[in-house]
Order: sequence, then C-alpha cells, then structure tokens
Amino acid sequence: MTVIIDGIATNYVQEGSGPTVVLLHGWGDSLKTFDGLAKSLKRNYTVVRLDLPGFGGSDAPKETFSLSKYAAFTADFLNKIGQEHIYAYLGHSNGGAVCIKGLASGVLCSDKLVLIASAGIRSDYQGKKKVLRLAAKAAKLPTNLLPKQTQNKLKKRVYGAIGSDLFVAEHLQDTFKKVVSEDVVAEAAMIAQPTLILYGKQDTATPPSYGERYAHQIEKSNLIILDRAGHFVHHDAPTKVDTAIEEFLV
Amino acid sequence: MKTIAVIFGSRSAEHDISIVTALSAIIKPLEATKKYKIEAVYIAKDGSWYWDEKLKDIKLYQSGAIDEFMRKAPKVQLQFDNGLTLVKSSQFAGRKAYKKIDVVFPATHGTHGEDGELMGLLEMANVPYVGCDVPSSAVAMDKVLSKLQTQAYGIVSPKMKFFTKSEYSENVEGWLKAIKTDLKMPLFVKPARLGSSIGITRVENEKELVNAIEVALHYDEKALVEEAVANLIEVTVPIIGNDELIPASVEQPLPKDDGVFDFETKYMNQGKGGKKMSGGKAGAQGYSKIPADISKDLYDKSLETALGVYKAVGCQGIARIDLLIDSKAKKVYFNEINPLPGSLYNHNWRASGWSNVDLVTRLVDLAEERWNAKQKLTTTFSTNFLKQF
Repeated sequence: MTVIIDGIATNYVQEGSGPTVVLLHGWGDSLKTFDGLAKSLKRNYTVVRLDLPGFGGSDAPKETFSLSKYAAFTADFLNKIGQEHIYAYLGHSNGGAVCIKGLASGVLCSDKLVLIASAGIRSDYQGKKKVLRLAAKAAKLPTNLLPKQTQNKLKKRVYGAIGSDLFVAEHLQDTFKKVVSEDVVAEAAMIAQPTLILYGKQDTATPPSYGERYAHQIEKSNLIILDRAGHFVHHDAPTKVDTAIEEFLV
Repeated sequence: MKTIAVIFGSRSAEHDISIVTALSAIIKPLEATKKYKIEAVYIAKDGSWYWDEKLKDIKLYQSGAIDEFMRKAPKVQLQFDNGLTLVKSSQFAGRKAYKKIDVVFPATHGTHGEDGELMGLLEMANVPYVGCDVPSSAVAMDKVLSKLQTQAYGIVSPKMKFFTKSEYSENVEGWLKAIKTDLKMPLFVKPARLGSSIGITRVENEKELVNAIEVALHYDEKALVEEAVANLIEVTVPIIGNDELIPASVEQPLPKDDGVFDFETKYMNQGKGGKKMSGGKAGAQGYSKIPADISKDLYDKSLETALGVYKAVGCQGIARIDLLIDSKAKKVYFNEINPLPGSLYNHNWRASGWSNVDLVTRLVDLAEERWNAKQKLTTTFSTNFLKQF
C-alpha cells in the first residue's frame, strides 16, 4: 500500500489484527527486513511496517532529514492510516535511534519498546570521522589522477572498510551525515516504557556494549545478548528473537 | 543491409525495463537475422541521447559503468532529412559520425516514449517505425481516453469516474459523494497515464479512497476510480498487425496471494510472488498460464474483445490488451492497453509458435508496410494563397 505523507509516496504493509506494533527498519534497509518477524507477530498483533523516506519503495525526502524528522514523519504516517494507539514500537539499527528520539520527545507514544541492535551511540563514529578526514586528505592528491569512476569506487571501499554507511544510500548523504551526528544516549534515559533490548554478540556495527549503555539508561529495560548473531540479529537468530519479543509483548 | 535504430530507456518509471526489452527481446533477435545492422540508441534518465555499440551490453547498466560512459560519450544529434540520421562527434579531429536510419524500433515503456511522444518525433522525421502511431499510443496510454474510445465501439469496461488534480482539489467533497453514490465498493483508484501498476490502489472504504486518490494524483495530473470486477480472472492478449490482426494466446497472469498483480509481481520477483499453479510458467513478467484456464466461450469472448479494442483505438504493429473477466457472470471487461508490452511479451508469442526472430522481423515488415502506404497519401496541395498576400 502507498500513502502520501508531506508529499512523499510512502510504501507500507499492514497485516494481522490485535494491538498495533510498528516496525522501523535501519539505514539502507527496507520493511522487507522484517518479513520473518512480521509473519510471527501478525498472529496476535496488527503489524505495521513502512519504508522510511529514501528507502525501499518510498520516495526520497526532498529535504535533509534528522532523527526527529523521521520520528515526526512516522507519527504523521500512523495518523494518516488511522493508527491512533500504538502498543509497541520496534526499531532495528537506525530505526531504533528513531524510536528513542521519538519516544523521548513525545512525538511518538507507545506502551512498550523493542530495540534490536539499535544505533544512536555516535562516540565511535566521531572517531571514525576524524580518521576518515585525515585519510581523505592524504589520499586526495594521488587519487585525483584516477578516472572519476575509479575514484568513486575507491571512496566507497574506504568508507565501507571503516564501517561507514555514507555510500549505502548515496542519494541521502546529507541526511546520513545529519543522522549520524545525533547521539540519543542521554535521551534514552527519558524512556519510561518497558523496553526489550536485543543485540548480537558478533555485531561489529552496533556492538553489544551499545546494548549495555542503553540498558543502563532505560530504567525498565531487559537486555538480551544473543550468541552467533551479528547486526541483523532478527535474521541470524530468528527463533530466539521471535520468542523473546512475543514473551515481552504479552 | 538495412539499418535499424532501437531506441530505449527514456525519462520513465519503466526506464530499466525498457533496457531489458531492447537488449534481450529486440536487438538480440534482430542481429540473429543477419539481415539488419542494429544501432543502439539510449535515452538516459535525464533525457540525453547516446548512440554506441557499447550500449548493447547489459553489463554496462548492471555495473553502473553507464555513468562513466555518459560522462565521456558524445551526445547524439538528430538530423531530419526526409528520414532520420543519427549524428555524433567521432571524437577524432572534430569530425562527425553519421548514420542514416531505415527503420526505428522504439523500445521505450511508459512516459516520454510509449505515450506517443517519441512517435511524434519519428513522424516528423518521416522514418518507418515499429508499433502504434501517435494517436493510438496517446489514447492507449491514457486509461480514461482508451475506455471512452472503446465504449463508443460498444466495448464494456468497469464503471468509472475520472478527474484532474485541479478538478478534484476544487471540489473534494463533491467528488467523494459522487463516487459513493454512483460506484460500488471495492474500487480501484489509478493514475490515468502511468504503466506497470504504479500508484494503483484497491480500496474498501472512504478513508482508503481519500488516501488512494491522493496517491494516484501524486503520480499523474489525471486519475480514475473504477469498480472492481467481482469473481475476477485477469487475462491478457498480445496482438500484432496493422489491418490484418494476429492474436497470440489468451494468457492468464497469476497474482500474488493478496490478489494484486503489481509492479513487484510483474518485474521484481520474476514470478516468485505469483502463485505457482500447475501449468504456470515464469514469463518475463511473473507466473502465468498460457493458454488461460477459462472456458472456450470466455476464451473466444476475450479474443473478440481484445481484437475489438485494438481496432477501436487504432493500434498498429503491436499491443497487448488486458481484460478482466467476471467468471460467474461470464462477462469480459476491457481494462487497459499496453502499446509496447515488456519484452514484447515474447514468451507468449513463443508459446503461440512464433520465435523471437519471427516476431521482430514481422514487426519491422509491418512498420515498412505502414510507412509505404502512408507515402501514397497526399499531404500537400498547391494553392495561390501566398501570391494573393
């Protein structure tokens, strides 16, 4: 299904019945990341998932988006499709940061929250940014002699190697820069909802230490670190994730 | 050896699909005939034209190397000299490369191509070209106009209301009331002139209707709202010909579980989204049954309706007619026309006994036959009007 929110054609899926659970995907991802999770959740809940602006089947935003803007957009979207009471938000990676920002500011409202490998802790990224700036300066002169396509390839490889998602969605580079400059750790302390926090032990993008910091900040939280799972915890350990979420939501 | 220019790409939501149609369904079989010299002419998403042998390689687009190619390659100029000549810089000593074109094979889908715009340019150049002409392309691509046109010939289509963006925004309540009074839910809301099921929504209530109209008018200045056909079986009939029409088999696309045969089912899943039923084949656009699994009576009615639509709209060369069947009422409704079906719907033609080579060769012949017939018409006449001035 598609709806128009602030002039942006927004792709979404609504399925199942019962209390509403809203799923927000991460950077460079789409609502499809939750195909498996939605399948089990829709047995007891109305599951709503959308492609955030710029991803999947939704139009790219015409302006630079911040986490707050993504949260406000999500609220407008839910209002438009007539979802007034949200039982739980579930955010993966950057979707988790959007949930924290929205719930802490009151733009979003729900009874419960699930964070899966949530991003939003940016201290590491600031370090990476400094390294990158130095490397970019040093590499600029010799690479200027290369063809533009090779230069771009090289750039993508370097950014990828240091774990930056800048080139994951090239059309959203300004939004990416804005989003990764926002740290939501302090705001997480304002979350009063019972919160389930899931991280993969082998996650290098958002390591389990992020989960520990969020668990420390959010009073009513429960942290589960799953072994043999990376950043996409819900893909790597689907049964354990489904069970943990279903038990938490009951 | 005749030179055929295959023109593809363009500023359209179906830009990428056009590349596949051109490269796999048109250029490859045309080159296999050894009868023609094929020139690949690519219209980029920004509307720039390029002409080069390298454009025949799908890897150029898949790898993203097309961006680097476009940065370096000279753009094409068109020369109208009672025919069409492609002109570009040879990138050698300021010289230009020229190529006189004998026939054009348009392979563009959707806006700025399939809708008649490209055909207008080719008419001005007076060069033979494959497929529907300007008026039939324009009418075929407009779901409202094609329905009004075919209704005049007694062909039935679902009951509808249509409006432009300004008409709707000036009287939203009035339109919603009229739709509620005159049409029965569930309804389909569609942009009038967009292909590939983009922006189409099925609605069950007024709230959904309002959102769906907003979506349709996000993509087009004109939208239509029409009643859904009950007990639905969708079928499609590819047809070729100018005066003497040849239909392929009546084909039954198989929708996803949610019953919607949308862009994703058509192009993205390569059939994975379709219900695989016995006899179902993964064609260019998902799973389908060839021939359709319907009674002989409905099969014949479908063929008759499709041929009637093709004639009523004045299609030429090739088109595909989509129909909706109410299987209980045994009624066939006209849904829409595709003046240039994706990959020419060659999977259906193959199932109907036509090889890819047979199909493209016949289409080129039809283009030349139409052009030759047109040359016999008188388009100018002498007057002394200017002398009186």
